[in-house]
Amino acid sequence: MIGAGGFVGRTVVSQLSGTGVELVALGSRDADLSSPAAVGILQDRLRADDAVVFVSALTPDRGKDIATLMNNLAMGAHVCAALSARRPSHVVYISSDAVYEERAALVNESTPCDPPSFHGTMHRVRERMLIEQLGAAGVPLAVLRPSLLYGAEDTHNGYGPNRFFRTAIKDKKITLFGGGEEQRDHVAVEDLASIVAATLRTRATGVLNVATGASRSFGDIARLIARLVGDGVQIEERPRASAITHRHFDPTAMLRAFPEFRPMPLEAGLGRMADRLGVHP
Amino acid sequence: MIGFAGLTHLGFVSSLASADKGFDVIGYDPRKATIDGIAAGRFEVSEPGLESLYARAKPRVTFSADPAALAGCSVVYIAVDVPTSPDGRSDVAPVRELVTSVAQAVRPGTILVILSQVHPGFTRQLTPAVEAFGCTLMYQVETLIFGRAIERALHPERFIVGCADPAAALPSALRSYLDAFGCPVLPMRFESAELAKIAINMFLVSSVSTTNMLAEICEHVGASWSEIAPALRLDARIGPKAYLGPGLGIGGSNLGRDMATVEMLAAEHGTDVELVRAWRSNSRYRRDWALRVLHARMPASTRIIAVWGLAYKEDTHSTFNSPAVELLGALRPFALRVHDPVASRPAALDGFDLTVTASPLEACEGADVLAIMTAWPQFRAVEAHEIARRLRTRLVIDPFGVLPERACGEAGLIALRLGDGTPS
Repeated sequence: MIGAGGFVGRTVVSQLSGTGVELVALGSRDADLSSPAAVGILQDRLRADDAVVFVSALTPDRGKDIATLMNNLAMGAHVCAALSARRPSHVVYISSDAVYEERAALVNESTPCDPPSFHGTMHRVRERMLIEQLGAAGVPLAVLRPSLLYGAEDTHNGYGPNRFFRTAIKDKKITLFGGGEEQRDHVAVEDLASIVAATLRTRATGVLNVATGASRSFGDIARLIARLVGDGVQIEERPRASAITHRHFDPTAMLRAFPEFRPMPLEAGLGRMADRLGVHP
Repeated sequence: MIGFAGLTHLGFVSSLASADKGFDVIGYDPRKATIDGIAAGRFEVSEPGLESLYARAKPRVTFSADPAALAGCSVVYIAVDVPTSPDGRSDVAPVRELVTSVAQAVRPGTILVILSQVHPGFTRQLTPAVEAFGCTLMYQVETLIFGRAIERALHPERFIVGCADPAAALPSALRSYLDAFGCPVLPMRFESAELAKIAINMFLVSSVSTTNMLAEICEHVGASWSEIAPALRLDARIGPKAYLGPGLGIGGSNLGRDMATVEMLAAEHGTDVELVRAWRSNSRYRRDWALRVLHARMPASTRIIAVWGLAYKEDTHSTFNSPAVELLGALRPFALRVHDPVASRPAALDGFDLTVTASPLEACEGADVLAIMTAWPQFRAVEAHEIARRLRTRLVIDPFGVLPERACGEAGLIALRLGDGTPS
């Protein structure tokens, strides 16, 4: 697991622990992926019969600028170099739905990739690096593109469940842009971890979106969280800076790849998040 | 005497229809097993009324695996199948080979008419090779509809005939044959006729795609497409026979092949083809409607799923591009109980936990949910309460609305249909 210390990495590690899988969890303390020295460190730690999950990236809350982009690409290049040299038996790269064009309202795996941000560009370029390099090295690759993730361990402060819970608990207030009409597909991070585990178990390859197939508005989420937190949490509306856009996912490919997988309904996922955050209305 | 070379679905049905119209007919196919099968009453295709048409036509039609049998024909139709790759690309080599072998077998002066689907430019390119044998080559548009092939062969709407020179009169033998069907005959240049066939299919794809796109919106806004479609049919610009029934994408092979041909032509000539890509995308998406609905609505405890239908549509044995087969292929972890009146279990489902049952109700025995994936008429006669008695839950995925809505309600079944939303 490259990136085991992050929000997603920790959840995947937690889910794989106890399944009999021998786990090597590598975090930023083990290797600074932005440094060329990471190539040698990773090569030393990897074996040819390993399956590798690569999930490390500097997320937008740590920078949306060119320098962050270049740093992220350097990390990708170093991991690619190590993987090409060591040729593990299977690689799973956790990308993002940020690779898709912004106007795509219904997204599937064939939706054109035209990322509107450096974050999306970074993931798309890393995907291409891995496809080219691992393809040439004959290493099977799966690329997972999750929609918006949520979970109690989320350290980012992105607009959505995580920020809504924090401000509801701390300030008794949730702030929406406009009425929070925008619909998005929110995925419990545990569901992403389950898909990662299933991808590893089946040695699946190719590109797969990870989404529930049921988008909900930020306004709905705010009201759900306000109810969960209770104690008079207020929902405040601020003028929106941009036009309303929606994003829905066609889950067909995931249903075909993993027919037994059932995504967690939003109400249940937020309820679990509330429990873990110690929220007791 | 009229000849048909290539006893495919189109060739066989057309040969019988011609005999039924009073012509003496020779049906030729190099596959001896096909000829022997016909002689024994075993047909490779299924169409409503095929047996009775065969009985009527039999005194006037002779089938042979010897191309020399065509020597007495004044007109020979070439009706060989054009193999299509999974992405819709055509292989016209069998047409070229059959035309050449027939031209060698017939008398000089014979008119050879290609009925098979070929791309614009094909017939003109092949003409010199046929003329070298003293024969004339022509092209005719044929719009076979699986399940309605006999009706269309006996009562065509019009004949579209591709000619080297449309200003010249049609050869008399061909003209008198076509006139027997009592419909308009439209001669045009080869390329126009070849493209006319594609144009017809593209307009059908357009109607189907628009219907499917709007049907999905109906499902979300509480409208019912079944209420909207009759209003559209009364609009003269759309028409009473327009393809306005919502479906699971675009089935069968012909429409997919023509979309691929248009894409190929557009790529070759640098014309815009985004619309065709959008149709394809919508078709793929809607094909999986039942899978998405099933996963969204079936209980987590579901283990056994009943599926009625394997064929891509009713009244055919073909499972090519069948939404039923696509659905079943995505249900490997489940126990599947399947019934189809005609179509056989395709090889794609080998290794699945799949039981083929003798009747639709038998498929429902102990199943958690039922999906009706082909709108066979006989399914409409099954009593809803008999289904309810056998299913563990009340959930029926019925995209085409095969089961009567009221009967389902009375039996307590929850039937989910294409284009049928629930008002909020």
